[in-house]
Amino acid sequence: MTRPHPFTLLAIAAALPAFAWILDAPAGAAATSAIALALTLTAGIDPRTSPGLRPGLGASAGWRRGLVVFRTAILTAAPFWLFLLILHDVATTVAIGLRITTMVASFVWVAAAVEPPRLVEALVASRWSASVAYVFASTLSALPQLSERARRIVDAQRCRGLSVRGGIAARLRALRSVALPLVLSALHEVDDRALALETRGLGPGVRRTSLNPPPDSSLERVLRWGLLVACVALLARKVFS
Amino acid sequence: MRCLGLEGVSFWYPATQRPALRDVSLDVATGEVVSLVGSVGAGASTLLLVAAGLAPRVTSGRLEGTVNRTERGGIVLPTPWTQTSGMAFTVWDEVAFGPANLGWPLQEIERRVELALGRLEIDALADRDPVTLSGGELQRVIIAGILAMDPGLLLLDEPTAELDPAGARAVWRLIRELAAEGKAVLLATSDLDAIPEVADRVVWLEDGTVRAAGQAALLGDDAVCGAGLGATVAGVWRAAGLPSPYPLTVAEAARRGGRGV
Repeated sequence: MTRPHPFTLLAIAAALPAFAWILDAPAGAAATSAIALALTLTAGIDPRTSPGLRPGLGASAGWRRGLVVFRTAILTAAPFWLFLLILHDVATTVAIGLRITTMVASFVWVAAAVEPPRLVEALVASRWSASVAYVFASTLSALPQLSERARRIVDAQRCRGLSVRGGIAARLRALRSVALPLVLSALHEVDDRALALETRGLGPGVRRTSLNPPPDSSLERVLRWGLLVACVALLARKVFS
Repeated sequence: MRCLGLEGVSFWYPATQRPALRDVSLDVATGEVVSLVGSVGAGASTLLLVAAGLAPRVTSGRLEGTVNRTERGGIVLPTPWTQTSGMAFTVWDEVAFGPANLGWPLQEIERRVELALGRLEIDALADRDPVTLSGGELQRVIIAGILAMDPGLLLLDEPTAELDPAGARAVWRLIRELAAEGKAVLLATSDLDAIPEVADRVVWLEDGTVRAAGQAALLGDDAVCGAGLGATVAGVWRAAGLPSPYPLTVAEAARRGGRGV
């Protein structure tokens, strides 16, 4: 199976929230949120995008990761629904809630589905500065990296007797023991990584050689332009009708 | 030919009153290996960052004195897991990260990467995902990544810290080969027993200043051994109450023992 070009994934992730806000609610937003949530389920199918998963583990592991991404999207969107329900009536809550769900699910999906190295290669092949490409890709990889680091810290703290079970007070105490090391270690690593990247030639304005640019078919280019044209057309119809 | 020259260099990290380096002067010539020794906090790592041009440019802080480099420098930091690009699917990609950033043609990058992988004896790891490597393997990959950029000046901060003894010996041999090819090498290591075989000169740092500098025989000096920075054989010789200067290697100790010290 050919993997989609990273720009195509980004275009879909950008277009879905745009459609959600342009199309009439609740039907339009319901459709876009359904599509975005369905996409989250597919995020683990390609093992190369799934840290910790190896090709030999088979498709079931990929689908399990898809369920994790789906759950992350649902749990991230849920608090917005709660706030909306407090502030608005049910109809408005549904209308805005579906749109926010589309935004959240699209972001969670694209963060899980886009491989940062491929994105860097694609950006560099498009003549972007390597450092800008790196910052862009690092943003997408920050969430999974922080999540992995948090898991390691929780494991380390458990070895020292931390319990992450129990009531809310116990969980808050556990959170404090995890959050501080998480933030401090991340900040420390940022310093080290900045030094390492600098010495490996990644500075402002660097014109990097593209090692293995991802293939970009004309069909995908047409799809991306089509999404852009559709967004503009729908927006124009909404404005002028 | 002088490849690196530091003259009267002092350096302060941000928000500190006490300098990490004080009035340090040091030269490293082409084809020369200079080793920094000192206790933790003596300033060796800071000196390497200054020599690489990373301090204060990236670290911030204040620098006094002059630093002259005639060659592009490449620095290997002591924690390999924070030096990966995070943007590589394979070890090959990781090693190619630096050369690609230099904008070299693809064929030149391929040649340099293959050469570096071979020199670090990690050809077999080329297709592995860097996140699956052991600390020692990763350390070699990081060194290969710097070598692939073909720097004229190599700055190595504890380059064998993660390696097993055989791996460490291979890296020390490689450093001598690189020096023979004309690279200038400035390294900081706590593997004091390796220094006599590797370094042409030794610089003893203490509290940010150069306490003494000289040939590798400096590691057999009574004061150096007294500071816990001598070679193991020298330390044993000293503990036995034998006269200084102390031998640095077992072979030298055996020769001197045969002569009745």
